[in-house]
Amino acid sequence: MSLRRSQDAARPRAATDSDAALVARLAEGDLDAMGELYERHQARVRRFIARSTGDAEDVDDLVQATFLAAAASSERYDGRAHGAPWLVGIAARLIRRRHRGLGRLSAVLSKLKNAAESYLDPRPSLEARRDVERALSRLSEAKRMTLLLAEVEGLSCAEVAAALGVPIGTVWTRLHAARRELRSELHLEVEP
Amino acid sequence: VKASCPRAFEAEALRDGRLTGAEKASYERHLGSCAVCAREARSLEALARALRAAPAPGATSDELHVRRERTRLLAAFDRAVVRPEPRLRFRNALLAAAALAVTVAALLGAGAWLAREPQPDLRASRDAAVVVAAHGATWSRRSEGNLETVVLTQGELSIRVDSKKSGVRLRVVLPDGELEDIGTTFSVSVEALRTARVRVDEGRVVLRLRGRPPLSLGAGQLWTPDEAPSAASSSGPSAANAQPLPWPSVSSASAAPPARSPAVASALGAARPRGLSSAPVPPPSAPPAAHTEPDSSSAFRAAMAALDSGDHDTAAARFARFVSAHPGDARAEDAAYLRILALQRAGRTAAMKQAALDYLRRHPKGFRRAEAEALSR
Repeated sequence: MSLRRSQDAARPRAATDSDAALVARLAEGDLDAMGELYERHQARVRRFIARSTGDAEDVDDLVQATFLAAAASSERYDGRAHGAPWLVGIAARLIRRRHRGLGRLSAVLSKLKNAAESYLDPRPSLEARRDVERALSRLSEAKRMTLLLAEVEGLSCAEVAAALGVPIGTVWTRLHAARRELRSELHLEVEP
Repeated sequence: VKASCPRAFEAEALRDGRLTGAEKASYERHLGSCAVCAREARSLEALARALRAAPAPGATSDELHVRRERTRLLAAFDRAVVRPEPRLRFRNALLAAAALAVTVAALLGAGAWLAREPQPDLRASRDAAVVVAAHGATWSRRSEGNLETVVLTQGELSIRVDSKKSGVRLRVVLPDGELEDIGTTFSVSVEALRTARVRVDEGRVVLRLRGRPPLSLGAGQLWTPDEAPSAASSSGPSAANAQPLPWPSVSSASAAPPARSPAVASALGAARPRGLSSAPVPPPSAPPAAHTEPDSSSAFRAAMAALDSGDHDTAAARFARFVSAHPGDARAEDAAYLRILALQRAGRTAAMKQAALDYLRRHPKGFRRAEAEALSR
């Protein structure tokens, strides 16, 4: 892989490029392409991460990690015109990895502190939310991310399955369970 | 007795793409004639709409925060691309950076669990950034964690940063924008409240001037506006002569080296300073005296002070005065937007909407137009 960087900085080419073109330039280490991709999609990636984690503390770092990981895997980009679903999928994988890592770290810390309590999930402490947000936070992380990817981020079930690394049947099952729990929590009508 | 339909479950199957071909066509026809299934489909859509509308902590971020995060990302990307560790390939370097960011995120969670405050190493920050001011320069400096901020109001500074050594990031706040350093040696000068010159000796900087796309400058490059600003003025630009900056020119510094002020030249020696510890670090200049500060700066600061103190009515009035008195000032757009915020916080909805409309009229392509449009409705 070459490490070509945009030398013609005075000519803002990135602004007119498609996402696919930007990702191709990203694979070559183009700084401007990274900047433009961030401009276009950071808000959506940020929103997805914030909703998925229910925790405002580490959103910034996860957004950063998402775009850096995107650069690392840019050679495998499938060429689709719109890059947001791809980035959101990367964010989903990072969140899962982070939670696994955090779980291990928490276990170690618990032993060190000789404390019986495990890692305190910050979600329950986030009060004053709206009903939907609160109900969403009560879902398991797997169900919550699946539902957000499908219903908010607009990924197809096949794309959700690829992003989370699970069979598509699992996605369908999670979606159904998540909707049922949410509707029950929100007292929405549920068909038998 | 509640009406039901044995095919109601297919509404969800249709939504999730589980129905195809004849099954799909059959159920879509059924939907047109079955009230139960139609209600179920509407209910699923309503749930999705509610999810999309639900707020999320940390999901929104103001433009300045986005700018800073963007710069942080580009710096991390730049480090991975330009200076990969020996035998560490580009992709591996990026993966390492991303993994580090995830680890930091995990540690933040663990940090909350431990209820500990991380203590930034301010001494390392100071040692990593050497700032040499030319005679007469007006500037200040502050450290926040690993972010070193230098505010340059007037004159020339030469700066060397070794962010690789310490992880320190340095940002130079200019009257008309900002400059982000990515581990380098450079000089920057301001005249008449405008950036007049940026010269990069080593490494790379990103120059962001208001209303302009970011500009990445590498070693040996010199940036100047096409039309050099006039000589420094103690009164600042008037509304009449405060024209937007033309798109800058970038040239090779070696072709036409700019004259460096003697103080800077003697402090830094040749183009390459010998080391961080050997270069003297003069203290930041005192805050500018009241009689030398431009009216626009004191007016803007007074408005900001009111906003920060929670006196939103006063802040709104001061920002309004600033906009009308200094329409050509680089901060006029910020002031117009901050006026909207002040009115919103004061609960003056009608005035806030009018201020948003004023903003959109004055700055139809402004930085905050999306927010102004939302607030004007």
